Amino acid sequence: MLSFFSVALLTATLRSAAPLIFAAMGGLLSERSGVTNIALEGLMLMGAFAAVAGTYFSGSPFVGLAVAIVVGALGGFVFAFWSVTLRADQIVAGTAIVLLGLGLTSFLTEQVWGQAGSSPPVERLPTIGLGMNVLLPVAFLLVPITHWFLFKTKPGLRVQACGEKPEAAQAVGIDVGKYRYAMVIASGVLASVGGAYLSIGDLSQFTTNMTAGRGFIALAAVIFGNWMPWAAMGAALLFGFAQALRFHVQALGLPINQDIIIALPYLLTLIAVTGLLRKSTPPAGLGRHATEG
Amino acid sequence: MSLPIASVRMKRRPLLAGMAAAPLAGALSRVPALAQEPVVVTMVTDTAGLGDQNFNDLAKRGLDQAVEEFGVQGEVIESRDASSYIPNLTQAAEQSDLTVAVGFLLTEAVTEVANQYPDENFLLIDAVSEAPNVQGVLFREQEGAFLAGVLAGLMTESNQLGVVGGIKIPPVVRYVVGFEAGARSVNPEVAVVVAYADTFSDPALGKELTLAQYNQGVDIAFPVAGATGIGSFEAAKELGEGYWVIAADTDQSQLGAEHQLGVSEKGVDTALYLAAQQVVEGTFAGGEQSLGLAEGGVGLGSPHESVPQEVLDTIAQYEQAIIDGAIVVPADEEQLAAFEPVAPDALGSAAATPA
Repeated sequence: MLSFFSVALLTATLRSAAPLIFAAMGGLLSERSGVTNIALEGLMLMGAFAAVAGTYFSGSPFVGLAVAIVVGALGGFVFAFWSVTLRADQIVAGTAIVLLGLGLTSFLTEQVWGQAGSSPPVERLPTIGLGMNVLLPVAFLLVPITHWFLFKTKPGLRVQACGEKPEAAQAVGIDVGKYRYAMVIASGVLASVGGAYLSIGDLSQFTTNMTAGRGFIALAAVIFGNWMPWAAMGAALLFGFAQALRFHVQALGLPINQDIIIALPYLLTLIAVTGLLRKSTPPAGLGRHATEG
Repeated sequence: MSLPIASVRMKRRPLLAGMAAAPLAGALSRVPALAQEPVVVTMVTDTAGLGDQNFNDLAKRGLDQAVEEFGVQGEVIESRDASSYIPNLTQAAEQSDLTVAVGFLLTEAVTEVANQYPDENFLLIDAVSEAPNVQGVLFREQEGAFLAGVLAGLMTESNQLGVVGGIKIPPVVRYVVGFEAGARSVNPEVAVVVAYADTFSDPALGKELTLAQYNQGVDIAFPVAGATGIGSFEAAKELGEGYWVIAADTDQSQLGAEHQLGVSEKGVDTALYLAAQQVVEGTFAGGEQSLGLAEGGVGLGSPHESVPQEVLDTIAQYEQAIIDGAIVVPADEEQLAAFEPVAPDALGSAAATPA
């Protein structure tokens, strides 16, 4: 009983953390290149929708996943165009993407399926047992890959230069705009796959606003993780664990006030952020354009 | 956010066109009373919105029925967040003869807007309002849920039942306590665990909550959680045979007919349909209405084909006892604590005694 309890707790933790890790790795790449990314929530939602639409019309969840990747890249491109080329305020542009994601997916749901709010059920991605789908290990594989890219490869180090001191990077001939475009598009793809994880990995349909703030929690994980991949994963796991703990405490029906249990994940995260973390240091060039003083 | 704005534009046009055509239609029509300006009925959803395959969709069904049968013009405004309730209701009041506020969460907003539009008609589902021009419809969900509890209490093999509540608001609590009272009446050994999701629109969260309950031995789940409850069906489908869901409000067999044990129905559609009829006939009045088993406002429907006839008979007995007043189903947690379960054998005598 106890061991079963812990296996269930562990798998629920991984399942809750995986979509956050996708979005967090995306957010991390974008922020490391100097683009503040609060658009993650909107990009996730677009991905969740695109995955279901792609699966619905093709019959294959893998095609749905591919569609989500393309749509995520497009969403990232739009965000990059606004925030890099047009030099819009990145917070405003990010908010616009969030609102666009919410409005567009609601609107298209009604257009595509003739019913507002949710799609019909579609086929899910295959599972690898214990309720985990094939995307789950991919999420965790992304963490060392992101780390390796940022700290061990030349393009990764250039990305960091763009984020820390865009003027200096520009001065030594790094095309800051190009690197930022690439990283923002990558963040769109990863957040979008995180959305697909929810809609065709975990569930089998799209419903309005189904990401329910996970994009923002992923961003919090990036900040909590001090813009480091492993630490951001740790933050996502902490939140996932707190969620899983909440589910299990609630399922046991212990006579504890439900409001406290529901607040538990947020409370734990808050305590961790304020108590355990040393001062967080964002990339110095975050939100600044290359040619600004 | 772009959706409500776009829909405002789309709505205005037919409305104006309808008004322009009205004098002509009145002159030509054989039924002059109905043929003036079309009666406009606008429903404003709560944040779960259309497509929750539950509460709001059920209201929409009543609206569609009214459109079809009374020729009213039906409009829907979806609320993205709580701060849009007042603007949405104001817009609805401006453009329609009946404004329907779908859900308890809109209570304060509808009172405020109704006071500003004292000549307009408002229908509020699941709550009552102090404003005199608001007709508040309360359902005795606990009575339908009691029958669902009887069904679950008799069908469970593990003697463990799970409830996933959306947000802990009175209509949800009525469902939850009614369910538990019913289950305990027919099965003294049953344990009911209740988990609140604190949201009506997060199916992934609903799935995890239900999975956790199933993992603890629950075999029948009762989600009262709007779109969050979609996740309960996902959980049942994942675990396969032997895991059941009892739907609340409306039939959700499209989410997994083979796992739906029954439906604790709630006539949100009926309430909206009747109010539209009253507006068309000019008999609409504010005040309070209570709909339970006796009025046909709630009930237990769509039992799975595997439910044996004896169980259905027992449910029918309990239904009669509640209608007769022999059983008063608890409506909140305090009443549940004081509730004495009524066993099926006691039912015959209890029901036979004139109340």
